Amino acid sequence: MGIRDYLKPTNVEEAWAAFAERGRAAKPIGGGIDVLLYAAPETTTLVDLAGLGMSYVRGEDGLAVGATTTFTEIIESPLGREYLGGILIEVLERVASPLQRNVGTIGGTLGSAHPWSDVIPLLLVLAAEVSIYEGRQRVLPLAEYLATRAAGERPLITEVRLPTPPAVSACGFEKFNATGFDVAVLNCACFVALDSGRCKTVRIAVGGTPRLATRLTTVEDALTGASLDGATIDWIAAMAGETIDVRDDWRASAGYRRDLVRVGVSRSLQRIAEKLGGTG
Amino acid sequence: MTITLTINGAHRTLSIEPGERLLDLLRREGCMGVKIGCRAGDCGACAVLLNGRAVNSCLVFAVKADGGEVVTVEGLERDGRLHPVQQAFLDGGGIQCGYCTPGMVIGAVDLLSRNPDPTEDEIRKGLAGHLCRCTGYVKQIRAVRRAAAAMRGER
Repeated sequence: MGIRDYLKPTNVEEAWAAFAERGRAAKPIGGGIDVLLYAAPETTTLVDLAGLGMSYVRGEDGLAVGATTTFTEIIESPLGREYLGGILIEVLERVASPLQRNVGTIGGTLGSAHPWSDVIPLLLVLAAEVSIYEGRQRVLPLAEYLATRAAGERPLITEVRLPTPPAVSACGFEKFNATGFDVAVLNCACFVALDSGRCKTVRIAVGGTPRLATRLTTVEDALTGASLDGATIDWIAAMAGETIDVRDDWRASAGYRRDLVRVGVSRSLQRIAEKLGGTG
Repeated sequence: MTITLTINGAHRTLSIEPGERLLDLLRREGCMGVKIGCRAGDCGACAVLLNGRAVNSCLVFAVKADGGEVVTVEGLERDGRLHPVQQAFLDGGGIQCGYCTPGMVIGAVDLLSRNPDPTEDEIRKGLAGHLCRCTGYVKQIRAVRRAAAAMRGER
């Protein structure tokens, strides 16, 4: 790496000016893990976001998490622990190792958007929004942020917002990995809100296919309006496994991934059914 | 560039490269208990406490320690007495080749600072990220339980 400069701006305007001036040679760092491991050779400048006051977990119409908040800080925050029956803790405690969770930030994970990320499918099904700054502040749905990122844009992420969940709702998550803290071969998150015992809102996302997590909208639509019983879960999980676009890579074959999708969706939905007391 | 920090309680002003890893800075400053394993955050041999939390020093830019406090395994003993976690590893044979030990001790110190009475499951999860290629982790886990008891004043 040819890193020569280190900047620590004290406000977002100043940080943005550094990116505007230096382009891709300037890399934002929260914890800095991904820049250390994966930074492109043209990186010359670190822009440390630690001076921007973005490490916090607040209860604002749900949850607002500052971009430089570490996973450990989220896990240890009372608001983070309470959110939707503790789902953030349940998932984040399975992300990387404690050593890395003490450093890695929620903004960094979205900025890197690794296809194996466990956080991204979770946040997709929780209907997260991302606050970004690119000369002006705006808030956009996570999927839209990921699309702009895929198109090559690199806005400065300032906050992640999670909405207040509906009254009878729950989230289930499943991850398949080779060792306790290895990255996922495949992961799966489901969210269901019930109304009179029927699925009113359904969100299902699968990551590590081996591409970046996306929602399975056809499968979501099939479950919407149904009750969350065992036969329905089996049918929906089979449908997810049959319809998903999965590929081979060095971690797993497409065929194995297809099985994991079926099992992952099934377990995640079963977990939701358990959390909601069977019928909700 | 120049940073100021404390390393094992000593105030230091040090000249560093902006892209340098904390691991390399600490070893240059003589903290050889900070081991080089994978340099990728996979093994935990380089773990140190940064502002009280265990981190892979290979995954942290040295500049992130500016104004902060770093404790390596060399800084755990007090008045010539080993830290209870070190003593428990020694007493319980939680060491074979010893390469993972400094990092694992640091990880255990962080764990016990937040959870003074961890279950075996919590210890296993708390020490995920520390690889030991000699043992089956049994004696290290036992050592952490003994250290926890000692730190609670039960032994």
